Amino acid sequence: MGSTGKIIRKKDLSIWQKSYIPEIVKGLRQTIAEMFKPKFTIQYPEERFKPQPSFRGRPVLVQENEVERCVACGLCSRVCPALAIEVQASETPLEKERYPIKFEINMVRCIFCGFCEEVCPEEAIVMSNEYELVFSSQEEAVFGKDKLLKTTEELKDRLEFLRQNR
Amino acid sequence: MSETKTLPTEYVSHPGEIKSSLGHTVRTDEMIINMGPQHPSTHGVLRLEIVVDGEIIVDVIPHIGYLHRCFEKHAEHMTNYQQVIPYCDRLDYCAAINEEHSYVLAVERMLKIEVPERVEYIRVIMAELQRIASHLIAVGTFGIDAGAFTPFLYAFHDRELILSLFEMTCGARLLYNYFWIGGLSHDLPPQFVDKAKEFCTYFKPRIKEFNDLLTYNEIFVKRTANVGVLPQDVAINFACSGPMLRGSGVNWDLRRDDPYSVYHKIEWEPKIGKGEMGTVGDVWDRHIVRMREMEESVKIIEQALAALPAGNVQAAIPKRIRPDAGEIYARTETPRGELGFYIISDGSGTPYRVKGRAPAFVNLSVLPEISRGGMIADLVLIAGSVDIVLGQVDR
Repeated sequence: MGSTGKIIRKKDLSIWQKSYIPEIVKGLRQTIAEMFKPKFTIQYPEERFKPQPSFRGRPVLVQENEVERCVACGLCSRVCPALAIEVQASETPLEKERYPIKFEINMVRCIFCGFCEEVCPEEAIVMSNEYELVFSSQEEAVFGKDKLLKTTEELKDRLEFLRQNR
Repeated sequence: MSETKTLPTEYVSHPGEIKSSLGHTVRTDEMIINMGPQHPSTHGVLRLEIVVDGEIIVDVIPHIGYLHRCFEKHAEHMTNYQQVIPYCDRLDYCAAINEEHSYVLAVERMLKIEVPERVEYIRVIMAELQRIASHLIAVGTFGIDAGAFTPFLYAFHDRELILSLFEMTCGARLLYNYFWIGGLSHDLPPQFVDKAKEFCTYFKPRIKEFNDLLTYNEIFVKRTANVGVLPQDVAINFACSGPMLRGSGVNWDLRRDDPYSVYHKIEWEPKIGKGEMGTVGDVWDRHIVRMREMEESVKIIEQALAALPAGNVQAAIPKRIRPDAGEIYARTETPRGELGFYIISDGSGTPYRVKGRAPAFVNLSVLPEISRGGMIADLVLIAGSVDIVLGQVDR
């Protein structure tokens, strides 16, 4: 193994070396040993990668007691570097007084930077652990409130992580 | 290159007419070959227009711009300085942390913020982990260029471990948005230090294994030694930086020569190419510089982990970022070389101008110079050794 800079001629080898059996055995031993080691890769569609709570997947809106936490302040839309978020506010008789009548995230534009989560004063928009995003058209990639709302139970891990790291 | 001399002169003649062995007059001509933009060995969307005379390269003309995303113009149209950081990540997507480091450093120097010691140490640890990850891609894909597939898988296995460390810390595997102006987005998770130490002890023997498998492999050495020689003076004239420059034997590393962060408190040394297998500045030298830099990075990470002080990583983050009117140029040593950001501020909340000095772009400019007169089969190796990332070349 390794280049020693010395040139080895075939006539200098012994018969045992000339048969190449020791070298083949050496190589095969390595190969067979590797075969029984645990696999590092994940067999994707059957096995899924389980992200840690710190993972920044697609942004979602937190739904608590059947209503979203969002008060439609528009900070996320302002801080978004990719201009992916559109919020339209309206009034509600609930305590929070304002709610988003329309909340859209264009997932083709989203760059998963997490600024919206960071800036949100109500902890209403968080990064979930979902990473599988497939669309067949640009229109389909604009996620409205129907696709964005997630209950607090579903987002338990991430909300706990944010509580510890804020 | 030396092979060209051994060919009979009439077969490597310049365009014109030659006599064939039967006595006929045969017209010879130069030929233009397009390599890329969709070619696995151009490492991205780069198009090389190659002028060949038979097998010998007469000229190489790189055509760039397929991945141009108007980074500089984009940066001027953000709402604040912070928002540029995710776009800095996307310059060199193989070494995003190092790009952030350079930009953040520039803005911090403009604002004259003192960053807490803990932040500086974490930044060094992250930057060096990222350097290892980036060099692993560089040497792994370089192995593929040379025809060795296994080292590539080894490299990606180890890189995956580093990416898991990053994911644990800031939630992303490739484009981190981790360094913020004046601090970091998250503190290190409690188990990080142990896992990073574990990685260092695991990785040191892996470098040796990688060297045995690829670097000192007889076939690989024969393929790379004396190919694509970049002499010292040419490297300096073309403003090359990083492993390209150090591979040619110039001892220049910004971490030592223009210290930033806490590199001056850590013991390490830049590695240079010495021409062990052939000429100084050949493709093999650039490869070995990257391999040895990884060893140095492990040393830096171990020292930084041992000296990691306590503190609040968000203590120095300013409430609003509004630097005084003026200009600044801050540079750091990324895995590809000197990355600098030149920022002009007009006193408002958004940068007036951001100019990125991308090392991959500058290093790519020397490609025609070093491949002229070489064999066309070596061009893939030479382009691979420059280690370009097209996101950074085109910006």
